[in-house]
Amino acid sequence: MRSFFAFFKKEILEFARSGKLTILGILFFAFGVMNPAIAKLTPWMMEMLSEELAQSGMTVTEVAVDALTSWTQFFKNIPMALIAFVLMTGGTFTKEYESGTLVLMLTRGLARYKVVLAKAAVLLTVWSAGYFICFGVTYAYNAYFWDNSIAIDLIPAVLNWWLFGVMTVALTVFFSVIANGYGGILCLTGGAVLAFYLASLIPKLTEYMPTTLMNGMNILVGAVDASDFNACAAITAVITVALIALSVPIFNKKQL
Amino acid sequence: MDILTIRGLEKRFGDKKVLCGLDLTVPEGSIFGFVGRNGAGKTTTMKAVLGLMRPDGGEIFVAGERVSYGQTPTNRYIGYLPDVPEFYSFMTPREYLRLCGETMNMPRAEIEERSGELLELVGLGGERHRIRGFSRGMKQRLGIAQALLGQPKLLICDEPTSALDPIGRKEILDILLSVKDRTTVLFSTHILSDVERICTDAALLEGGRIAMQGSIEELKGIKRAESFKIEVLGGAETIAKAFPDAKAEPDGSIRFEGGEDKIFEVLDFIGKNRIPFSKIEREGASLESLFVEVAGK
Repeated sequence: MRSFFAFFKKEILEFARSGKLTILGILFFAFGVMNPAIAKLTPWMMEMLSEELAQSGMTVTEVAVDALTSWTQFFKNIPMALIAFVLMTGGTFTKEYESGTLVLMLTRGLARYKVVLAKAAVLLTVWSAGYFICFGVTYAYNAYFWDNSIAIDLIPAVLNWWLFGVMTVALTVFFSVIANGYGGILCLTGGAVLAFYLASLIPKLTEYMPTTLMNGMNILVGAVDASDFNACAAITAVITVALIALSVPIFNKKQL
Repeated sequence: MDILTIRGLEKRFGDKKVLCGLDLTVPEGSIFGFVGRNGAGKTTTMKAVLGLMRPDGGEIFVAGERVSYGQTPTNRYIGYLPDVPEFYSFMTPREYLRLCGETMNMPRAEIEERSGELLELVGLGGERHRIRGFSRGMKQRLGIAQALLGQPKLLICDEPTSALDPIGRKEILDILLSVKDRTTVLFSTHILSDVERICTDAALLEGGRIAMQGSIEELKGIKRAESFKIEVLGGAETIAKAFPDAKAEPDGSIRFEGGEDKIFEVLDFIGKNRIPFSKIEREGASLESLFVEVAGK
């Protein structure tokens, strides 16, 4: 257990000293501020555009903005934050393959599964911290400007999206032990998410695909019930655990 | 007792057979020079010993335990220094050694004590900077410190001196020599003077097999054809007539097979006939000539 934490600490230190932790912190915070800011600016922007719109025959009536407008922005923008996160952290294994730094750790008896689990745990921690910073900031502004209580089942919806992010992190770990290059990992992770998305377009499969977890807005406005996502969330959790569990034996046999 | 035993090791890369039935034993307490030309398979052999490469055949024992690929428990006996060691460059040497110690489950106090001692030994005691800015020689020295941290029974160094300047080389050799009471040292090299300087034993890897192995004294004592050559400034025909076994070399000199007696015989003849010459060179009993002879076969 001690060697696991030693490696975990090393990963965190690397994130911190390379500046990635700061950048990700700023990024998630900025996304958190952006959601209510855009909502707040919407009426003003509409007003600016109203003259143009009037010329083309559209009349702008008063635009009502509330917490739901801001939450819509949250669910629209958080995929960008996840993509940025994957781009910034996708090289955590390949960097070590390329430089050969892992060899010295493994030849002194550090068990390989601890490397996989420590790296996965760090990615998960950083993703969770970032995600909930973003959520917290948006929540606080929304509470200040409007009223969060009009969003139905906010917490399940937000947790669903977090779980989708967790699965994406597990995908990058899994593809990191298979592929040797950063580009390959990004392509495979992106490809897997795209495959889930395409499969979810088939109506019979929709409620079972992890990408469906991203439709949190539907819960907030009451279009669907939060419990409708239970199957999907369970499947996503199983996929996540399976990906990590499979990564260990594959990494054990990997030529370094 | 032998700390490392390799039997019938084979490894193929595609069509190319790098190792074909390599046998090697490293006695405990030795400084073992593992010699071979570039691409002979030295690194491949070492990686197989460390369980980093799956061999196509043969078996390896470290301290009597069989080595397995992938998860390799025998690595607890081994300290390893790769040819170009790479460390986490965002750490200081102290932090790196602490990480090494913690991954080996060493007690905290022991880590602190041994890191201090080892960094002192390799001349990095006062180094507070991050590894990022280290020179090759400094990295090599830190590499030895990390390899020795776990008090290994066997220290494996892959070409530790090859990329260094003469001063850096001397420093590394001195360090290796100074640890010989604590551990067995196995190091690969193609620099034979390094072997002669510090090794107690050596083996020559050639054509995927061990062509020769033994203690330095044994190897130097191997009887083999001695020879010498003379560069004459004329009169070569006279010599050729008197010594039909002498061979003309491409560089214009004449080569004779034989030792002391032969030299004096030839010198007598040259003196009597007053044949002018510029140089006499004996091909001495160095490891270099021995290995060149064996490798050239």
